[in-house]
Amino acid sequence: MVKEMLTGNYAAAWGARLADVDYVPAFPITPQSEIIEVLSKWINGGAMDAIFTNMDSEHSMITAAGTASATGTRVFSATSSQGLLYGFEMLYNIAGWRAPLVMINVSRAVSAPITLEPDHNDILSARDTGIIQIHTETCQEVLDTILMAYRISEDERVLLPVLINMDGFYLSFTREPVLIPDKNEVKGFLPEYAPRHAFFKASEPMAQGVAVLGGSAYSYFKYQLHLASLNAIEVYNEVASEFKGVFGRSYPAIEGFMMEDATYVLIMSNSFTIKGKAALKVFREKGIKVGLLRLRLIRPFPNSELKRLLSKKKAAAIIDQNISPGSGGILFKDVSAALYHETHRPEVLLSFVGGLGGKDISPEEFNYIIDVMKKSVDTGVVPETQILYTENDMRQMNKLLKVAGKTTD
Amino acid sequence: MFRFDRVALSNVGAVSQTVLFRKARLGNGPYRKIQIHNMKKKGIIKRIRFHGRGGQGMKTASRIVGTAAFVEGYYAQDFPVYGAERRGAPIMAFTRVSDAPILERGIIVQPDINIIADETLLDDNAANVLQGTGSGTITIVNTHYGSSHVKENYSLNGEVATVDITELVLKIINKPALSSVAAASACKLTGMISKDTLKVAIVKELEYINLKKAVIDKNVEAALICFDNTPDCSNIKIKHPEGYVENKVVSLEYAGPRVGSPSVYTMGNTITKKTGSWRLFKPAIDYDECSRCRACFVHCPHSCIAIDESGYPQIDYENCKGCFTCMDECPKDVISREREVRAW
Repeated sequence: MVKEMLTGNYAAAWGARLADVDYVPAFPITPQSEIIEVLSKWINGGAMDAIFTNMDSEHSMITAAGTASATGTRVFSATSSQGLLYGFEMLYNIAGWRAPLVMINVSRAVSAPITLEPDHNDILSARDTGIIQIHTETCQEVLDTILMAYRISEDERVLLPVLINMDGFYLSFTREPVLIPDKNEVKGFLPEYAPRHAFFKASEPMAQGVAVLGGSAYSYFKYQLHLASLNAIEVYNEVASEFKGVFGRSYPAIEGFMMEDATYVLIMSNSFTIKGKAALKVFREKGIKVGLLRLRLIRPFPNSELKRLLSKKKAAAIIDQNISPGSGGILFKDVSAALYHETHRPEVLLSFVGGLGGKDISPEEFNYIIDVMKKSVDTGVVPETQILYTENDMRQMNKLLKVAGKTTD
Repeated sequence: MFRFDRVALSNVGAVSQTVLFRKARLGNGPYRKIQIHNMKKKGIIKRIRFHGRGGQGMKTASRIVGTAAFVEGYYAQDFPVYGAERRGAPIMAFTRVSDAPILERGIIVQPDINIIADETLLDDNAANVLQGTGSGTITIVNTHYGSSHVKENYSLNGEVATVDITELVLKIINKPALSSVAAASACKLTGMISKDTLKVAIVKELEYINLKKAVIDKNVEAALICFDNTPDCSNIKIKHPEGYVENKVVSLEYAGPRVGSPSVYTMGNTITKKTGSWRLFKPAIDYDECSRCRACFVHCPHSCIAIDESGYPQIDYENCKGCFTCMDECPKDVISREREVRAW
């Protein structure tokens, strides 16, 4: 076991290497290209025994990933935003084929406007595809989650692809210390893929991904997919627990931070959570009892775990780094739906949208969130979705609008 | 000659290097003794921001510091921010070094150490290299001018020192690659990294980008000189504004399609951007020998050479980036390279 300074991308490449994957169909896109660059270097040099194929687009790449998995190989791939969206129809297909595989999405805000910085509209657009989604906060977590994801994906109670999200720039290009587990320890935790439902064998021919005509048949297979995804909650917990036993690192489906005596709770996800944790420490010093939940498992959505963690808390604020225009934050909907009938649900549930296109969520914005929470609890009046934008942001924007000839002053 | 302007930092006294040993536990492995310099209290964090142009080595500089800090046993985090990824475009790179887990990510808005590797960025509004400097910030500007010249022409907070690292690297490495020396300055200013560790980090990072041993050795040589000549500033107290800064959340109103859509109505202003400031060396044509073959004019990748009425090539020095394709293509070798030092 070795500790090294790795970028999130490099850590992801290590995850695939330790998982001993067989096939990597690839197509580059900022900010993930480094992942496939490193893998191609390793495979070409012999450090990894796998096949690497440059595809002509992400649509082909995702198709290749799913079909290769259906022949019984362990597959890894990576993409981001426009690339994920380019292959979108195939995401539904590979889940429908019940093809286990692990794919990294390096989150990047979706065009237009074009940007390279992160938010979560790309990964969350895939939430209805049937693919399991896990969101990470640190570079270490990226590596570790890949190993756990293959276990979950290939489990017979699941057999669904897994998308692991890592924030562009904040994780993908940021180096921090990462423990690279020992190859043999990983082999003990993650054995070879042994498919029983989909494989290529001349003596046992089968047809995969067959057409289905008729609602009863379609509904049957779709419900099975849904049940498989629900199973993944239990499988996730088992695998995470085993991972902790072997490697010593704990990754619950929802991470709790300073929750024991908390009255107010912030709910966040991905790498910006660290900003929430830093803000929390300041609030605690002022005597405000704030806790934080980090959503890690997004699909399937861990309803019971969420209900348990928010039970008897006074107020919760969900900070969505994504937006469904005309509606509001996406994860807010999952959280509210889970809590609707709960006797001890928080009396106040607030929705904040911030960090779009990688915009910072500043300490002042966290202050604002806490103020709104307190006011809502005191007055009983809960406002609609709040969008986070500051005076500084507006000042900068006005300058740009003027230069672009869009304002008259 | 390499010279480090000490005037601006005269209030810094010599700091005795208190050496402490600390056992560090790395995962499940054995305990390892590591040496930490100037450890006084827990919760030390140094935020370093590098400014440069793509190709000058600021990303590598941030990685050298990150690796050095990691090897010393600190928590470290480093990353670059590009915007448009091309040679010559302004870039920023960041390194955070701490004795406790780092609970921050993203751009360093208030640096403790601010390294400006390209003086022409001082005039670039988009690059904004002096933003966030506080009373405890140490800004190092790579220029042949003294620090008073910087202070007179630009508004910034904190201390300023100037150092001509371009001259240093041209002399020792024979290339304007600033990564190792910029890293050396930053490492010394943190007061947390030793010369030996810096050397290890430089070798590691430059090997990673496939530089030859001879080049790496020269980088180390230049870096160690820079390290020795950078004053130890670990005594300077950081006085950044605490926590809350007046910056309210505003309510956004609908602005209409002409304002609220990502489009531009003014004429393109690229023509006002003079890229001649990127040069370190200037091409000069010997018109006595020039045979007017037009090879330089044809090959200039930036269309910076025009042919005058007499048929001679004229270089647009306002925009010439000093790539020397013209010099490489000239069949008579009448184009020469002159070192050019910025005049403000």
